[in-house]
Amino acid sequence: MSLLTRFVSRLLLAPVLIVAVGILVKGYADVGDGFAAGVVAALALLLQYVAFGSDAVESALPIRWAPGIAVAGLALAVLVFAGPMALGDRPLEHLPAPGDEPVHIGSLELITAVVFDVGVFLLVLGAVGTIIGSLIDPDEEAP
Amino acid sequence: MPDRSADVTGPRIARSALAAVLVAVAAFVATWVAWEAGGFEVDLPWAPVWDLRLSLELDGLALLYAVLAAGIGAVVFAYASAYVPRHLAHQGRPRGEEARLHGAMVLFLVSMLGLVLARDLILLFVFWDLTAVASWLLIGFDRANRPARLSALMALLVTTITAVLLLIAILVLRSEYGTTQIDELVAVARPGWAVALAGVLIAVAALTKSAQAPLHFWLPRAMAAPTPVSAYLHSAAMVAAGVFLVSRTHPLLALEPALLDGILAVGLASIVVGGLLALWATDLKRLLAYSTISQYGYVATMLGIGGAAGAAGACLYVLVHAIAKSALFMTAGAVTEATGRKELPRLGGLARRMPLLAAGSGAAAATLAALPLTLGFFKDELFFKAAAERGTWLAVAAVISAALTLAYIGRFWGGVFLGRSDATVRPLERRLVWPIAALGALAVAGGLVPGPFAELAQEAADVTAAGPAPVDVAYHADTRTENVMAVAAWLTGALLLAGRARLQGLLSAIARAGQAIGPERLYTVALEGINALSNRIHDVEVRDLRARIAAVLVPASGLIALGVIFTPTGSTYEVGRLVGADVPLVMMLGIGVLAAVAATRPRRHLRLALSLSAVGFALAVVYALLGAADIALVAVLVETLFALLFVGVFSLVPARVLRRESRRRGSPSARLRNGLIAATSGVVTMLVAWGAFSRPIPDDPSAQRHLALADEAHGKDVVTVILADFRGLDTLVEITVVLVAAMAVATLLHGRFRA
Repeated sequence: MSLLTRFVSRLLLAPVLIVAVGILVKGYADVGDGFAAGVVAALALLLQYVAFGSDAVESALPIRWAPGIAVAGLALAVLVFAGPMALGDRPLEHLPAPGDEPVHIGSLELITAVVFDVGVFLLVLGAVGTIIGSLIDPDEEAP
Repeated sequence: MPDRSADVTGPRIARSALAAVLVAVAAFVATWVAWEAGGFEVDLPWAPVWDLRLSLELDGLALLYAVLAAGIGAVVFAYASAYVPRHLAHQGRPRGEEARLHGAMVLFLVSMLGLVLARDLILLFVFWDLTAVASWLLIGFDRANRPARLSALMALLVTTITAVLLLIAILVLRSEYGTTQIDELVAVARPGWAVALAGVLIAVAALTKSAQAPLHFWLPRAMAAPTPVSAYLHSAAMVAAGVFLVSRTHPLLALEPALLDGILAVGLASIVVGGLLALWATDLKRLLAYSTISQYGYVATMLGIGGAAGAAGACLYVLVHAIAKSALFMTAGAVTEATGRKELPRLGGLARRMPLLAAGSGAAAATLAALPLTLGFFKDELFFKAAAERGTWLAVAAVISAALTLAYIGRFWGGVFLGRSDATVRPLERRLVWPIAALGALAVAGGLVPGPFAELAQEAADVTAAGPAPVDVAYHADTRTENVMAVAAWLTGALLLAGRARLQGLLSAIARAGQAIGPERLYTVALEGINALSNRIHDVEVRDLRARIAAVLVPASGLIALGVIFTPTGSTYEVGRLVGADVPLVMMLGIGVLAAVAATRPRRHLRLALSLSAVGFALAVVYALLGAADIALVAVLVETLFALLFVGVFSLVPARVLRRESRRRGSPSARLRNGLIAATSGVVTMLVAWGAFSRPIPDDPSAQRHLALADEAHGKDVVTVILADFRGLDTLVEITVVLVAAMAVATLLHGRFRA
């Protein structure tokens, strides 16, 4: 890959990830959601692969954990889904309840629905990461 | 004379083995302490929406099975700490794999404890399936060994398919009586179709778990497991779970006397089938496996007889059998480790070489054969009493059963320890011998002081019979029925043992007939058939993608075209007015059309992929122009990702294959056919879309409601609110599918170079 591609890729990684997080946390108030954020982050990852090759990416980024991240995302979503049942509520009962005022951090509102979206984000990132990892380096596990 | 044969120290005990023993001992102590403190009860709401409760209670029945699972578990785990390193060494496997076995053993112990404590049938079902999973891990511990894997699969399939029947039974009871709590069910259930149906299903599931005929065949196969696994699963745990379930639901089953008669018949059949095969078998562990089928047949028979006598006999029998059979299984393992042999004809004369082992397993064998001065004597007394109360024919059957048991157990012990043989005896670790001696001593102690054992069995029998079911154990030197029957059984058994050689031909014929037409054959044929069917479907699915797409597109577009033709058109197809603001929209649609047409041209794969994604990008812009920002964002992202993934996939295919494929030109007729299919379906789709857009969009009240509710759900972006809140369950299921698909892709790609 050309020097320019590498330079731009390296330059872009952090901003793209920040955009992803932005899409994620602002998803409830603006365009975007966990799925879109996950794909953006995965694209950032893919760009690194294209620019630097699998060896460099795998030593720099925790790509090994992609399946784990996906499973963790599902677990988080299931937790938000089933957690209220354990507390005697209906499944997927989000907090704060309708009418209650959410906690604010700046203009960010803390609500459990966003946690569910974080689960979706992690799952999409992990799943696409897994697929990318196995496409680019398909026989990493072969003896 | 000190037992020289048990003088080897052996390798250090693995930490995982030690932990397993400690868990078992702790469970044992905790059970006793809790019982002495008056039992315990936990009742937590688990999923209140479905009225499920995490409800556990330690009653007499749970006590008996928990004590057995933990107590026998502790002894067997101690034995395993010495056995498993040897087992792994024989196969040249690293010692690190030991932890896997001990872990699965503990998982089994825990699920067994959960099973016996559960008061809610759904909870019981969960633990029931957990034991099946744990048994699969244990039986298939020798992963490299194909028969072991198949045996594990067989045990899993046979017990979990019937477990589904148990679930159906639970749901039937729940729909009829509105509860899954066992106590509540027993209180409200009345004889009727619901109880009869549920009872049959429960009985089938339970008797299969206890390896009763005709679904007994998985148990001898399960002998592929390492010996400690067999010693645990097939004495005190896995097979015990089946009769436990019958005991637990006995007050329900007893509502339909015909059900109990069925269980009685299955039990008797299993006694005979298991007994005859045990008399025939020569492999040590197989002989014991057949004996287990037969012995649980006794328990099923007594539970089928029912009443106070049946319940008392069944509970004491389970207790005695667990002690004796685990000791005998461990004996088989120790003997094979010492001599390297596992066939009866090649063994013999070990009594002098391994006196402690001989004494311990002798006591265990004697208690199973119901000789006096062992705990087992009383189990047969109770069996005879229950049978004689039922009728003469059952009394005769009971005597024959006991005679069979005496014969094959006598054959087992005599064949190993008496006579002479040329086998060389290697020394064994103490931990391979002492557990057997301890269990043997326990059996003899029970024969001398049966009180505590009888008490334990009685607590369980009271629950089973739902009333007092005294376990009377005492020696009586008189000619009461039980004593006469016992003497008759010993004599018949001795005759059988002496004349076995003459029966050999008959026994082999029975065994061969069973293999040829028995239920195991049916299982194999069914499994192969299902496999072949699945392969056929898979073949049809993947062989020709183009034909499959055509098979969907042609009939669908034909039917829709018919619909379009026969629908009164009138104002259906309108051409709306274009205003100036629509120009960008029309331009983007035009670009989309151009890209789609262009996509039919390229012969190179990469160009094809890129022109297809150009269509997608054009549509994304259309969404954006229509004000659907969320959809546009996702469309752009997904198109980008797909374009890149296409490139990634193409890079995996060798270049010459891509070149060859892109040079391939179909015959003119095939190209004409493909063109026709594509054109027809395209035109019909367009007609439908045109018709749909010509109507005014109906006012969807749910859309308005969603918009109104989004604010209440603290969201300003209604799409996200729908995904994460209103339709959260859909999203959850969808992301699960994404995960499964990703795992499948990764697995396929990893396997690519291994095949």
